[in-house]
Amino acid sequence: MKNLSTILATLVLVFAFMNSASAEDWKVSATAKKKLNPYELSKKNISTGKKVYQTNCKSCHGDPTKANMLPLVPAPADLGSQNFLVQSDGEIYHKVKVGKGAMPTFEKTLNDESKWMVIAYLRSFDKNKKKAVVTKAVVNPEVSDVKIELDIDSEHKKLKAHLTGLKKDGKRAGLEGIELSFLIKRAFGQLDISGEEAYTDAKGELLIQFPTDLPGDREGQVDLTIKITDEDEYGVIEEKRVLSIAVPTNPKNPLDERAMWGTRANAPIWIIASYLLGVIGIWSVIFLVLFQVFQLSKMRTKS
Amino acid sequence: MNDDTKSKETTLSFEKIKQDVLRPMQNHRGLELWIVFLITVISVGAWAYYVQLRDGLGVTGMRDYVSWGLYIANFVFFVAVSLVGMLISSILGLLKVDWIAPISRIAEIIAVAFVAVAGLVIVLDMGRPDRVLNVMIHGRFQSPILWDVTVITTYLVISALLLILPMIPDLAICKKEIKTAPPMLKKLYAILSFGYTNTPEQHKHLHKMIRTLMVLIVPVGLAIHTVTSWLFAATLRNGWDTTIFGPYFVAGAFVAGSAALIIAMYFFRVNYKLQDYITELHFDKMGKLMVAVCLVYLYFNVNEFLVPGYKMKSGDSVHLKELFFGSWAIMFWSSQLLGNILPIILMVNKRFRMPKPIMIISIFVLASAWFKRYVIVIPTMLHPHLPIQNVPDNYQHYFPSSVEITVTVLSFALALLIITVLAKIFPVVPICEIADQKGIDYKIEE
Ligand code: HEC
Repeated sequence: MKNLSTILATLVLVFAFMNSASAEDWKVSATAKKKLNPYELSKKNISTGKKVYQTNCKSCHGDPTKANMLPLVPAPADLGSQNFLVQSDGEIYHKVKVGKGAMPTFEKTLNDESKWMVIAYLRSFDKNKKKAVVTKAVVNPEVSDVKIELDIDSEHKKLKAHLTGLKKDGKRAGLEGIELSFLIKRAFGQLDISGEEAYTDAKGELLIQFPTDLPGDREGQVDLTIKITDEDEYGVIEEKRVLSIAVPTNPKNPLDERAMWGTRANAPIWIIASYLLGVIGIWSVIFLVLFQVFQLSKMRTKS
Repeated sequence: MNDDTKSKETTLSFEKIKQDVLRPMQNHRGLELWIVFLITVISVGAWAYYVQLRDGLGVTGMRDYVSWGLYIANFVFFVAVSLVGMLISSILGLLKVDWIAPISRIAEIIAVAFVAVAGLVIVLDMGRPDRVLNVMIHGRFQSPILWDVTVITTYLVISALLLILPMIPDLAICKKEIKTAPPMLKKLYAILSFGYTNTPEQHKHLHKMIRTLMVLIVPVGLAIHTVTSWLFAATLRNGWDTTIFGPYFVAGAFVAGSAALIIAMYFFRVNYKLQDYITELHFDKMGKLMVAVCLVYLYFNVNEFLVPGYKMKSGDSVHLKELFFGSWAIMFWSSQLLGNILPIILMVNKRFRMPKPIMIISIFVLASAWFKRYVIVIPTMLHPHLPIQNVPDNYQHYFPSSVEITVTVLSFALALLIITVLAKIFPVVPICEIADQKGIDYKIEE
């Protein structure tokens, strides 16, 4: 029994060794390595990248710099560590794209933009490049009951958000330097109209130009959601509104016209006609024949 | 069954024909036992159906992906077999092919039984059969389903008329000759013989009507199976999205129907001792007909699988590879080989067109035809364009549940019961038509 387990353990070890020995290294060509991130290290891009990271990578890699990755073999690297960040943008991009072993390929699951955004986010942990990031260290007071208020200037289609929190002394104070997202509900998802640098100013205010050509429903209404982009600091803070400042449209319902895909009442005339003509034609012959059959017995009497 | 009476040219008199055909209708040993057996099977099936009604379609193997299963495959099979009525009694009849006379009534009986049960099978497949009339009330003219329901009902009515009308003279004889018949049956004979006494006028009148129906059933027969194929072809699914589905189904139906007819012919010849009427010549001719329809069907099969197989569009390729080499390969290839290619090779030989061999071949053809329908319906449902994912395991496969299988057995037993009853109360071989053909004079008295 003991022998057996020793043998088994040895076998497992040998296998594990063979496995790691045979595990191929990442092969990243020189041209792939030279690729540069086409997106700048702006605060906006970094925060977009953070969202992508949290939904797609965090489950395995843990939080950057915290080294709390899943205990896989080989381990998913801490993507915020300096050791890792010595790699070029192109190299990281390539690895994310192709994957290896337990590392999935993101070639199809993430579009290029998202991949580069994650890389921008990871770069923000890079001590050598950090200066590139435009950050103004703002320290907001500790607050509770954070909320967003909205002023609408219908005439100029401007939206002014006011982000405030309740300070310890019971007064409301504007929160500065917080990114807000202005999202408009569309048929298949949300349209972000926040623009490039949607950060609140010193008063906690942010002014957004609503697109002048954005179509709404028949009354020109759209559903707006404003929220704090990064949910880490204050949790989910959002405000929903119905705005009547979009361009009114008159959408055509494809079910209103006569078509093959239409309802019964909207069937194409030709198909109704063929059906009815066929049914009436064939069944009248059937009834004619039936009628004629009953004539047979009359012929008997004649003879 | 024993088929050793060699058919020799016996001289037939009207009396003899009458006696030979009417005898099995009057005393037929073992019939009660057979009917009791069928009714038992039907009762078990009815119980299974009751379970399905009570608990819902969840008791079947069908789930979200495979929502057309055994029932629909079986439905297509029944519709296919029923097409033999149109092929034999109408197409060949209109072409004045005269050897079909003794077997056309059997073909018509098969047609009526199978199309009636086909309609029922659809109802059996419904989770809420109480809503069946909604097809008519709310059905869309654009949907092949409305057309299918219409056309199947129409085909059933015309087939029934084509069974009864040519039988009127014979029924006039039955009315007079079968003295032992129960009063109900006598009444039926009296009504359905329409006072026919074979006056030249009546004869002409009747045959004009029959010819009208024979012409009428051609478009309806084509429509019934073409529209059935459109139930599939009107979708964009792999394997169904083809332009030849209509003729492909019609050709396949001729094969299945002919096979069913040959089996029935053999059965009636031996069991009803009709060797003088359903002769070796008829099996020989049916064999040749079968080779012809099999070749047409083979031609369609080549088109249906070779052309998409050459292109292997990404959706089709998943489907076709599963059929050719995957988990459906055995069913696919055996239905092609045993149901089409081998029968053609064998039946070009005169020896294999003798009654017994051709009957055995026909059993294979018919069984293959059934499996072929299964292969047409189910694999496509398992190969949707978007991958099947994040669903319970039993959504990803399909195997009919015991309830489904039992209900399907019911449909067969019911079709056989209808054939049995029709063949018991009606003469399976047309008496007067044969006499007409042989130039034998006869009189029908009131
Ligand atoms: C299913 C778990 C898993 C997920 C999800 C995952 N990874 Fe990985 N990742 C791994 C593993 C395991 C490795 C190590 C692979 C190896 O070396 O064989 C790895 C390796 C990497 C590497 C190479 C590290 C190095 O040392 O060069 C990069 C870069 C990387 N992952 C980025 C990402 C990004 C970006 C995401 C999200 C878009 C992501 N990974 C999502 C498991 C995962």
